[in-house]
Amino acid sequence: MKNRLPFLELALSALCLWAGWYRTPAGALVRSVGAWLLGTRSTARPLLAYFGAGTLVPPRPPPLLAGPVPPAQALAYGAAALLDESPAAVGPRLRAAADRLGSDDAALLALFCGEDAARFAVDQARSSALDDLARALPPRSEGCIGRTAQAAMLGGAYALGWPLPATVPITSPFGVREHPLLGEMRLHTGVDLGAAVGTPVRAVGAGVVRRASSDGINGRILILDHGRGVVTTYCHNDVLLVRDGQHVDKGQIVARSGGSGRITGPHLHYQIDLAGEPVDPLRFRAQHPKTATGPTD
Amino acid sequence: MQWNVAERVARVRWIFLPLGLCALVAVGAHAAADVVSERVLWAVDRVDAFFDWIWSAWSFTAPLVDLVGLTQRTWFARAVALAWELAADALIAVPLLGYEERDASVEWQLARDLLRRTRSPLRLVRPVATLLVALAGAFSVARMVQGSLQLALHVWWLASLARAAVLIALLVLLVPRAAFRSLEQARTSRYRVVAAVVLAPLILAAALSLR
Repeated sequence: MKNRLPFLELALSALCLWAGWYRTPAGALVRSVGAWLLGTRSTARPLLAYFGAGTLVPPRPPPLLAGPVPPAQALAYGAAALLDESPAAVGPRLRAAADRLGSDDAALLALFCGEDAARFAVDQARSSALDDLARALPPRSEGCIGRTAQAAMLGGAYALGWPLPATVPITSPFGVREHPLLGEMRLHTGVDLGAAVGTPVRAVGAGVVRRASSDGINGRILILDHGRGVVTTYCHNDVLLVRDGQHVDKGQIVARSGGSGRITGPHLHYQIDLAGEPVDPLRFRAQHPKTATGPTD
Repeated sequence: MQWNVAERVARVRWIFLPLGLCALVAVGAHAAADVVSERVLWAVDRVDAFFDWIWSAWSFTAPLVDLVGLTQRTWFARAVALAWELAADALIAVPLLGYEERDASVEWQLARDLLRRTRSPLRLVRPVATLLVALAGAFSVARMVQGSLQLALHVWWLASLARAAVLIALLVLLVPRAAFRSLEQARTSRYRVVAAVVLAPLILAAALSLR
């Protein structure tokens, strides 16, 4: 084998280097160091964004909603926020693409990466989940995969319901505030809802229980993974009614609100994370519960 | 003239072949780590829940609950996956940069001797991991070639043919070399227990990512 096929070996080595250069965190590290040494700007993604097939990039906050989002239109709202178009214009295109390609994720991919890329991904991928579709596409699709994933995340968040009746007031909104017990400025990563002990807490969307545990800070805490990078968290419950790994349906009672953990009084801390970044849950609702002073954490 | 070019290319194989082998294994390691990144997140969740329960029991350790709070958990899980992948790169991809080529028949003979003489299963972890990860890398590279050609030329049969050709060529020319080099190094390699801890799950992950 020695000294034979040198061109083929050169070509194969070049292909491996090309793949490693664009598809691995190690390649991104080399690119970043190279760019730093040359004083140029690296085009590599952040190292941690190479997991989840590059679909875990948090979206920018969406515009405030003018009216309620019909559940069937949630994905169109997500795509429209990224495309700067109206959901009414995006919706029919998305539905037509979903009919042709067989899934919503493939339809979104077609919207951002083109019909050919989406069709190719559907043919090659193990499943119709966006992660798997993205893994089937070459490096040149990196940018549009990121945008597709962001649209999917926003769409997933728009499709979520609300964990408590709309009459339950918000006692502490999302945002930086002085912590009521620690006295220091901190980001409040969700909204506190002043629910009485025993109030049923409903799953805001279908998903899988990623964590049902208890600690002295968050109390009895429940984390639901809704897919597409959308995760919701419910803290300070009195009782958890589901267990790790269990599948839950939208609207299913998953806990009873309570006063467990580090709090000033009974309430529910409700949080939405998109790609691991907390976002204001009220961004995805047109009708906001009224605000009142009350228990928080 | 053509022969001269081929000879010149052959003369610099000592540069591009080790780089290619290293990149092939790095691509495979990422394909494997990426496929199980969700499971890493699940594992980090379990560990985080356990430590939150411990830390919150005393007021002086309670601030540690927020150290890896709800927000940092996903970041932390991806950082664990990244550290795992880079550790695997350091253990099985980087050593391939020292690849020294011999004649194919000599390499096969040497590989058989090495396999016969290697009694400890710990010494076989690196070669087995290298073989499976290189396989995962070969599938990944072939898929990328097919995707790039398909989306550039829109000729389905050509892209599929190119994928098959690249896959076969990698399986014949690069994957065995990577496994052989790793086997060769297994006798003298250090940190075998650490390598086994890092690479045993990677072997499973690489097998899961194969297709």
